[in-house]
Amino acid sequence: MRQHFGLPEPHDDRQTLMDPKGIIHPVATPKEVEALFQSLSSAKQGPCISRVIDLFEDWGKLLDDPSLGDIPGLAFLKLWLRRGTIEGILKREFGQGAELDSWFNIGRSRFKAFPVGVVGHWPAGNIEIQPVLSLACSLLGGNKGLVRVPSRCIKATSCIVEKLFQADKGGLLEGRIAFMSFDHGLRPLHEAMAHNVDGAMIWGGDQAVLESRSLPFPHWARLAVFGPRISVAIMDKGAWSSPESRKAWCQRLARDVWQFEQQACSSPQTLFVEGDSGTDMKVLIQSLVKAFEDENRAHPRTAIDPGLTSSILRRRADWLMGDAKHKASFPNSPDWTILYGKGVDIPNPVQGKTLFVLETDNLSAAVERLDGNVQTLGLGMTDRDQEAAIAEQAAGRGVDRVVKLGQMHTFASPWDGRDLIRPMVRIVQHIPAAEAV
Amino acid sequence: MDATLNERIDALLNNQLYSVAPDERKSALLTLLKEHVIVAAQKQSAYANYVHSWPIDPRSAEKIEDLPYLPVTAFKQDPPLMLCPGEDIVRTVSSSSTSGQIPSRVAIDAITARRMTKSVALIAGNFIGNSRRPYLVVDTKTTNMPSSQMGARSAAIRGLQPFSKSITYCLFDRDDNELSIDEETLFGFARANQGEPVLVYGFTYILWLHLIKPLYERGVCLNLASAHIMHSGGWKKLIEESVSKEEFNRCAAAVFGCTPQRVIDFYGMAENVGIIYPDCPEGMKHSPCFGEVIIRDPLTLKPVEEGGIGLVQVCSVLPVSFPGHLLLTEDLGQVVQYDACPCGRRGISFRFFGRVPKTEVRGCGNILAYRSRMMTGRP
Repeated sequence: MRQHFGLPEPHDDRQTLMDPKGIIHPVATPKEVEALFQSLSSAKQGPCISRVIDLFEDWGKLLDDPSLGDIPGLAFLKLWLRRGTIEGILKREFGQGAELDSWFNIGRSRFKAFPVGVVGHWPAGNIEIQPVLSLACSLLGGNKGLVRVPSRCIKATSCIVEKLFQADKGGLLEGRIAFMSFDHGLRPLHEAMAHNVDGAMIWGGDQAVLESRSLPFPHWARLAVFGPRISVAIMDKGAWSSPESRKAWCQRLARDVWQFEQQACSSPQTLFVEGDSGTDMKVLIQSLVKAFEDENRAHPRTAIDPGLTSSILRRRADWLMGDAKHKASFPNSPDWTILYGKGVDIPNPVQGKTLFVLETDNLSAAVERLDGNVQTLGLGMTDRDQEAAIAEQAAGRGVDRVVKLGQMHTFASPWDGRDLIRPMVRIVQHIPAAEAV
Repeated sequence: MDATLNERIDALLNNQLYSVAPDERKSALLTLLKEHVIVAAQKQSAYANYVHSWPIDPRSAEKIEDLPYLPVTAFKQDPPLMLCPGEDIVRTVSSSSTSGQIPSRVAIDAITARRMTKSVALIAGNFIGNSRRPYLVVDTKTTNMPSSQMGARSAAIRGLQPFSKSITYCLFDRDDNELSIDEETLFGFARANQGEPVLVYGFTYILWLHLIKPLYERGVCLNLASAHIMHSGGWKKLIEESVSKEEFNRCAAAVFGCTPQRVIDFYGMAENVGIIYPDCPEGMKHSPCFGEVIIRDPLTLKPVEEGGIGLVQVCSVLPVSFPGHLLLTEDLGQVVQYDACPCGRRGISFRFFGRVPKTEVRGCGNILAYRSRMMTGRP
């Protein structure tokens, strides 16, 4: 009996689960899942971290290949795989000078990081590069990885992983990673996967995350759960009062809206703008419209789910007909939408490049309404004191990232307020006995 | 309402329904629809706000597809969107809302009601002829009780009433609130009208579940060779039972003892009052001269090429009591041809492809389910 599991992935039939490159294995039974784990368990000792970093550097260079097409987030992945980025993350998570490959001393104890073992990955279906990003985090901890690739991400994942295998000339990762795809509703396959892992990285929407957490993991398994969040932006009056500054901030915001079709947890859904009775929002809206038009020209959509088109059109009408003070700007297509008015409450997100712009005379009042559902607060601010106060206030309300506009999607540690690599690493303590004698 | 606008609309109702050349029809409709939009915006501030934000000023629109269209969900409001004082409303029509959603509600005044009755009769008559005949309603009598609130089922039943000499209802409500067939009445109707032209109407799933399927399984034939069987209401429940249109028509024909060509599925929606879209003998749907259908590409919202599939927009000049002139439905359709259907009807020929699948806010940005759980208290 088929059970529904997590968010709908409407195209999960056998045919759409096929990967022409043969990298991602379509599986249909728990036995096939077990077989993939068997192949992982026989793999040799993992490479040292410095060699993984070298490999990632080479992998990133190979991703600079026009034949990969326009995979959303690919440019970001290339940057992320650079030595400088990864060393920065390691430094932050493990401390300055910490060597993951060797023991280090604190007082009389020695410490060393060890992998948890096999890490299973349940990435969200809406971010094409998430399967490989999730895997990369656990590989940096020395783990083996098995990734369940959502149907929508199969093509992109396969192309990206093909480059990883090309970069891995020495076979460092041989037998240490595997990819599979199966219908999201097949709970026995999720269970078979959960049975066999020592750690799990789970990403996605509310239902998917709740379902994944309830799987029968071994009692020792470590779970790193990155659940659903939304993100918002704010702009103080100084940021948009001069034409040059306004243009620059609007361009940054447009870039953040465009990435991942505004479906990522780090995608801004609402912009709170500081204004007062003397300000004219029209100039800001005009600037935003220009930035959205430019971004749309540079990165036009090539496909859309008809349901998303309907949602966008419904929201435009609801917004404008719900309150005579509401205004909107949008083209003849569903390409983008700016819905504006006044207020401090975040409207329900629509995604699909639909940005709510709410004017308020008190940014702090808007930040006060944020809660733990908000992951990232994107800032376009010129007043440093106010920025520091806003960051403090937002953090206190549950926001985990407060970053400059244009950097809302920068996937860095911490993410959702937690480390990315360390959760899948055991820090072993050795208190030398010989010394004490 | 401008008297000349009303006169021009009424003139269309006296026109040839399906024989006007597409360009000529579009030109006439564009003028009328523009006026409708401008007048409606003057009367309704919420609608005006929507129209004023539209990327193209309706006054300068050069094509019908440039005019501002509303999603049909705009009518899921209480009180319903109106363009006239409440005292002018003679009834409200509700959508069937079979998916458990909030039904749309459309406010009808006397002028709109009159046009609605006339236009449905004209369209249906074009497919089944204009004579009056015994009318078998595969529903209960209570469904069609006079009321100021009219559901989709009663609207359809009444819409075909101009073709009836007498009405017979062949279902009844059992004590457990389930519908059941009144065999004595049904077989009596069949015996009395064998060989005679009769009209049969039922909501698609009711007709299937409560008449066609059980009688087909028992091998019953009603011997009504001259019956026209009309049905509407959508295929969702039948698709769940894996019943295809071909199977439906074949079984219906076997039960009534007529040819499958006499089984006519028609599409209609509460918000598109007065216009129904019956299948022509080629299996296509057409728009009458007082309306238009545009199938829009979901990516660009431009009209699709022939063969293309997209979101269905319906246009109508008939309503004056609500802004239902240009409506984007939640259905997908395919343009088969923009003119010259072999059945002889001019203009677009299209078919429906079912509902637009609901899209939820996706993936790791989806907090709506959580918000909803918190609000309802449901796990």
